[in-house]
Amino acid sequence: MSSRTKSERKLAWLLCAPAVIVMLAVTAYPILYAFVLSLQKLDLRFPEQTEFIGLANYGTVLSAELWWLDVWNTVVIMVISVAIELVLGMLIALVMHRAIFGRGAVRTVVLIPYGIITVVAAFAWQFAFASETGFVDNLPLIADEKNWFGGHISSLAVIIMAEIWKTTPFMALLLLAGLVTIPDELYEAARVDGASAWQRFVKITLPLMKPAILVAVLFRTLEASRVFDSIFIMTRGAQNTESVSILGFNQLINRLNLGLGSAISVLIFVGVVLIAFVFIKGFGVKVEEGRPGG
Amino acid sequence: MKVGAREYSLWTIAIALVLIFALVPVLWLLSISLKPASEVADGRIIPSTFSLENYKSLFEGGWSASPFLHPLVNSIAIALITTVIAIVLASFTAYAIARLEFPGKRIILAGALAIAMFPPISTVGPLFDMWRAFGIYDTYLGLIIPYLTFSLPLAVYVLVAFFREIPWDLEQAAQVDGATPWQAFRKVILPLAAPGVFTAAILVFIFCWNDFVYAISLTSSDNSRTVPAALAFFTGESTFTEPTGSIAAAAIVVTIPIIVFVLIFQRRIVSGLTAGAVKG
Amino acid sequence: MLASALAGVVLSACGGSSSGPPQLTFFVAIQPGGTIEATAERCTQEAHGKYSIKPELLPNDASQAREQLVRRLGAKDSSIDIIGLDVILTSEFANAGWIAPWTGRQKVEASKNVFPSVLKTASFEGELYASPFNTNTQVLWYRKDLVPKPPETWDQMIKVAEELPEAGQIQVQAERYEGYTVWVNALIESAGTSILSGPEEVELEQRPTEEALEVIGRLAHSSAASPELPTSNEDSARLAFEAGKAAFMTNYTFAFASAKENAPEINENMGAAPFPRVNSNPAKPPLGGFNLAVSAYSGHQQQAFEAALCLSGEESELTAVELDGLPPSHENLYTNPVVGKAFPGFAGLVREEVEAAGPRPVTPAYQDVTSAIQRALHPPESIPAEGVEGKYDELKEDLEQAVKREGLL
Repeated sequence: MSSRTKSERKLAWLLCAPAVIVMLAVTAYPILYAFVLSLQKLDLRFPEQTEFIGLANYGTVLSAELWWLDVWNTVVIMVISVAIELVLGMLIALVMHRAIFGRGAVRTVVLIPYGIITVVAAFAWQFAFASETGFVDNLPLIADEKNWFGGHISSLAVIIMAEIWKTTPFMALLLLAGLVTIPDELYEAARVDGASAWQRFVKITLPLMKPAILVAVLFRTLEASRVFDSIFIMTRGAQNTESVSILGFNQLINRLNLGLGSAISVLIFVGVVLIAFVFIKGFGVKVEEGRPGG
Repeated sequence: MKVGAREYSLWTIAIALVLIFALVPVLWLLSISLKPASEVADGRIIPSTFSLENYKSLFEGGWSASPFLHPLVNSIAIALITTVIAIVLASFTAYAIARLEFPGKRIILAGALAIAMFPPISTVGPLFDMWRAFGIYDTYLGLIIPYLTFSLPLAVYVLVAFFREIPWDLEQAAQVDGATPWQAFRKVILPLAAPGVFTAAILVFIFCWNDFVYAISLTSSDNSRTVPAALAFFTGESTFTEPTGSIAAAAIVVTIPIIVFVLIFQRRIVSGLTAGAVKG
Repeated sequence: MLASALAGVVLSACGGSSSGPPQLTFFVAIQPGGTIEATAERCTQEAHGKYSIKPELLPNDASQAREQLVRRLGAKDSSIDIIGLDVILTSEFANAGWIAPWTGRQKVEASKNVFPSVLKTASFEGELYASPFNTNTQVLWYRKDLVPKPPETWDQMIKVAEELPEAGQIQVQAERYEGYTVWVNALIESAGTSILSGPEEVELEQRPTEEALEVIGRLAHSSAASPELPTSNEDSARLAFEAGKAAFMTNYTFAFASAKENAPEINENMGAAPFPRVNSNPAKPPLGGFNLAVSAYSGHQQQAFEAALCLSGEESELTAVELDGLPPSHENLYTNPVVGKAFPGFAGLVREEVEAAGPRPVTPAYQDVTSAIQRALHPPESIPAEGVEGKYDELKEDLEQAVKREGLL
């Protein structure tokens, strides 16, 4: 190894060290600490009763009906919102890419949901649907006096809609980035061969965009799995709309039961790692170089 | 290519739909925020009387009594400080990754991405416990540290993408032409890198500005509570009335700067978002 | 703006310094009429420089206010001196050692002339932990123009409401929040049993509990229930009543003053009647309100006790009833004209309701208990109108776990 490469390495590591150390300190340490807390019976309201209880907290969580109910809710919200976002995002990306006018306007307006605080968006939708303040009930086609937050399905639908509204722009932009890499000549050639717009979309656009789609779906799935803000604002988990993050928050901050809450934290972390693993190994998403695989 | 009338109207409809979709909630908040208390529940899309009462209530009592000024200043300050720290640290790392050859590069990038995807609820419990012990519960520092978990990786990611595009050879060329290394950096590299740094900063700021989980868990007073948390804890006219009007007004106040920001910098934001994620 | 902001931070930091009289921070739920500011100012003046009181306002939602206090006290925050404590929180806070017990002269003064039912909410394991500030109770509000004579039981009320031409005539509080626990507890107490018999023992006698649950189930499946039932709270109930959509509403006293301001024509026909019974047992209406406690981590405990005594004294309570319509916790004040003016024609009723009230469970695990109740019984439609054994078993089982603070909630 030449002294030049050696010194270059040294410089590189020196430059990376601060960020790497900070990133480890703010994530790895708390997660390990969460694991330690999760092995204890630890309720801050009863500090004198603290004791080491091994994996008992995990037993409590995994055997609780509530945990699995909330896992199911989280998965439902995640799958439905990501699926709809993918379709809508693709449509918006196509509009942004192919529109013959108004592209700039669309791009700007679409970014507004992205920039708005999730909590603010949640309030906006809540006020729109709530029976006291809302306008949705007054719209034509809506059965009057419907209490949106009074039922499981309708509450969940509003929550999912708020999520979709907030994050579709991100999806659309990721997809747009994939879309612009497809050379126009391919479409021209297909057009000459007499392919319809739909055929061109299915035969050219979709296959070439697969990597971009997978990356976008992975990002959004992981993000959707932590859904918290909208639920907290709109229902606080009532009508069985609770996500695992809300459940964790309730144990940690509301009950100050750090033992049980930390067990949930660790389980959520493991879940997120599993999702990422499935995407990366199963679907071959290559994100580490920032460039989708294939 | 000839544009038919049919195609033209189809595009108009598509674009109109996108605009409505994106703007409805914001317009609804605006409408509610302008209604006087007695009409908040009337369900009308356009208020029958316009009133600034809700906006006044946000700032009433000045600095010491306003329910909104402290959180607003906290939000801005915390997001700005975090952005500066994240951008400085991430610039070093991104420079190394984009320009130098060294083992561990890929691991750092992959690790950064993994950390960016970290669920906040997983660290909030331990942080709550640690911050009590360290005495930084309900302080700026107590929020800035967790905010680095997502802002640092995000900044690294976006900056690497931008730095890779910079023609670094120009620096050497300038030095050959007689410029000192500092001059070469200032006159050549800095102008090339600035847009990327700026974009990364905007994205990081938006992320910090948006956080809710850490903000409600690790703060408890005007000392450090940020806008999203303050909104959730707004108090109404009395113990039993809901603060709908003032929440809507506050929501509009914090949303307008973002809209202006987006209008001005939309190109930058789009390139930052997409560069970080796909283009590399 | 930033400069003035920074100046403000510096100033407030100076306020807490050791030179000069201590500034006591008073955490309490906001009162829009200005009670808190007025009493804090008066008590600061009466202290003649021994201390000053700075109010810090908490959210109106009981659980959110609790979360904020708990996070501060859990973190042993010393910047909190006096706490306006919702009546349900005394035992949790006392047990955790977050608030200091009252003793000697101050204890005697704090309990003088206070309703025994209210005093119970300020005590834990035989010690007094707070000085009662205001109390609150619900009465049955009804429309005199629609209903000639107020019903005495829930069954009667549901029947009367079902016969009225418009549906959705009964307003209660059944969102999944503390207000639902308030209602459920009042029904169970009125039926002749209690949720807990001790901090860790579930009582819930089967037959009376089932009768209470049947009331909820019957209302939820009746045309008398408002469509907002599963999301109804004190505010939505008031709004519906003021909009003329309801003939009946169980709600706190604020509803009268609110209607007077927002819907005068409804207010003219607004009658107050005793909280309805469940069966032949006397009704036990809900009991709310705030007691003032002193933080165990306060650096100025002696001054804080004195200040809390002044803040919760008779004069302060008269300010509270005058400015914010909050019922006093001192029995002797109910003959005072100020109270009569705030509760025109129903001051005596409020007094009787407070005396008869059935407080919510007293346990350090209150948060767990109330969460368990809300989870087991929400939404109200999940309770059948008849045959509620299944629900009873579920509630009992969940509560057995909650008092031990086990399981997920």
